[in-house]
Amino acid sequence: MAGESLTVDGVKVSYGDVQVLAGVSIDVAPGEFIALLGSSGCGKTTLLRAISGFVPVDAGRVLVADRDVTNAPPDKRGMAMVFQSYALWPHMTAAQNIGYGLRLRKVARGELNRRVEETMSLLGLDGLGDRLVTQLSGGQRQRVALGRALAVEPRTLLLDEPLSNLDARIRQTVRHEIKALQQQLQITAIHVTHDREEAMVMADRIVILDRGEIAQIGTPEDVYNRPRSSFVAAFMGADNVIPLTAKRDNGGLHVSASDDHADAVLSIADGDEGANLIGSGDGELTAHFRSEAARLIDINERPEGSLVLFGTVTQTSYPGGIYRYTIDVGDRHFLVDDLKKLGVGDAVGICLPAKSLHLYSANPTTSS
Amino acid sequence: MMTLHRSLRDERVWSFALVAPALLTVGLLFIYPLGFSAVSAFSAEEEGGWTFANFIKAFDLYSNDILFTVVIVSLSTVLIGVFAIAIGGYLTLGENLYAVAILKWLYRWPLFIPFIVAAQLMRTFLAKNGLMNNLIVGSGLLEPLQTQSFLDWRGIVITFVWKQTPFVALLVAGAMASLDRSMIESARNLGAGRLRILIEIILPQVRPTIVVALILSFVVMMSVLSVPIMINAQTPTMLTVDMAFRINAYGDYGVANALGFISYLMTGVVAWIYLRHGVRQGGSP
Repeated sequence: MAGESLTVDGVKVSYGDVQVLAGVSIDVAPGEFIALLGSSGCGKTTLLRAISGFVPVDAGRVLVADRDVTNAPPDKRGMAMVFQSYALWPHMTAAQNIGYGLRLRKVARGELNRRVEETMSLLGLDGLGDRLVTQLSGGQRQRVALGRALAVEPRTLLLDEPLSNLDARIRQTVRHEIKALQQQLQITAIHVTHDREEAMVMADRIVILDRGEIAQIGTPEDVYNRPRSSFVAAFMGADNVIPLTAKRDNGGLHVSASDDHADAVLSIADGDEGANLIGSGDGELTAHFRSEAARLIDINERPEGSLVLFGTVTQTSYPGGIYRYTIDVGDRHFLVDDLKKLGVGDAVGICLPAKSLHLYSANPTTSS
Repeated sequence: MMTLHRSLRDERVWSFALVAPALLTVGLLFIYPLGFSAVSAFSAEEEGGWTFANFIKAFDLYSNDILFTVVIVSLSTVLIGVFAIAIGGYLTLGENLYAVAILKWLYRWPLFIPFIVAAQLMRTFLAKNGLMNNLIVGSGLLEPLQTQSFLDWRGIVITFVWKQTPFVALLVAGAMASLDRSMIESARNLGAGRLRILIEIILPQVRPTIVVALILSFVVMMSVLSVPIMINAQTPTMLTVDMAFRINAYGDYGVANALGFISYLMTGVVAWIYLRHGVRQGGSP
């Protein structure tokens, strides 16, 4: 079984008067693993359900291998879905659950048993076929749910937060197992999750949704290192924000000094070497950075190509290995980890190298 | 130590006082009459002492009616089950939202109508010149001479089914609605049609509720007097009618109690199924 391409073209979905998807378009290549990422209520599950055919679309089209399936019933789309609650049937054994789709397809008994066994050993469920699903552990149930979807050899696998009911340790393993399985079978996969790390680890490309619209589509490196908007930056962990005033010229971005920070000249570049700037860079900017990219330095130090914030330590803690400080910069608080031991009330500089900064013009329409 | 002793004793007195009204009600209104009628069924009225005479007479005179009662109530129970599952299934799986809303509003009405009123309604509906035949004749499907009265065993079954289906459907539809919706969607996703989902996915999961609801219905129908008396004024008839007749016409409490005891055995069998079911469900029937 090989995957098929999937095209979502301007799909709009409303529940009553509330518009949940406001014209979403995605192109998925055959065999690609796509993660739909977003916070609760952003429309990611609705998008998956629109793709699977459980939610009728108000406008737009869904194409599978260039075939329009917008109005096709869920079972005529070559897709199988793994549900968040697993949706296993408690009155059936693991093998009956996995073989149900094959039974519906009138596969002969011998062939059916062979394929069920094959699927079960693929998922490491050997010997559990005769158990009722209620007698299985959470991880095993999750595999049975996956097995039930895979047994019918779908071209596209839809995963609706299938790992959210597993404990953290098992989740780590299952992530890799699902990804490996998807690559081995070369099927197209659409995975809904609100877990950033899960999306990063599993997906070839991540689709970040915000209030029913796509905020950004890109590879994990893209959305992590080059978030296109303030929302995506915050969602991808760069949730420390500081306002700046700057002017851009050929030499880079000249940041003016203020009460909170020193002046600086920052290089702007694509990729790792400079700051990620969206917009013209002139005038007021919003700077985002991740706590782990910040370093504590002497307040009078001015490393070249870095922005230095003036802070005061207001709280200290020792989570192990490093010290964690709450540092006030003006009326903002940042959490910064450092190896040095500092005391409450100490004045420190927070050093932010250009490449750790994501800068967004307050008026993005002047984008160059 | 003394105080603790006294407070424990006080507590016991109080707890007994609290359950006493319930115990008295059960004892006076249920256990005493039941025991009395059982004793009376096995007692010889004139000569005194224990006897099977009442049962022998009951079987001599009413064995057809015993069979009739079992068949009528069992047939009604089966039909009620079928209709209730169909209604519950449509409410759960129906895709036409208007039809679902109308059915949901409509199906419960008979619940609020007493048996005696239901029987009276059915008399006017099912009679030879009743509303049903008038409608059929009016629509040109039958000639007036071809019509027939349904006021016989069929009338009893129709009334029981009409009256009891909403009760079972209410419980069954509730159980179906409380199932995880994604269990139905996962079956649809694999290509199962609605009938298949109802039979293979939903029914096995709501079976305990269906069994309990049908048993309760069975017991209720066994005890109804008004419906057979009003709809089926002929023999064979149901045991409740025979019991009323033995008492009203002959003052023959012995045979009436023997018939009552037989009814009790029939409901006892289904009660046993109910309890066995409850034990299997982990003691929560």
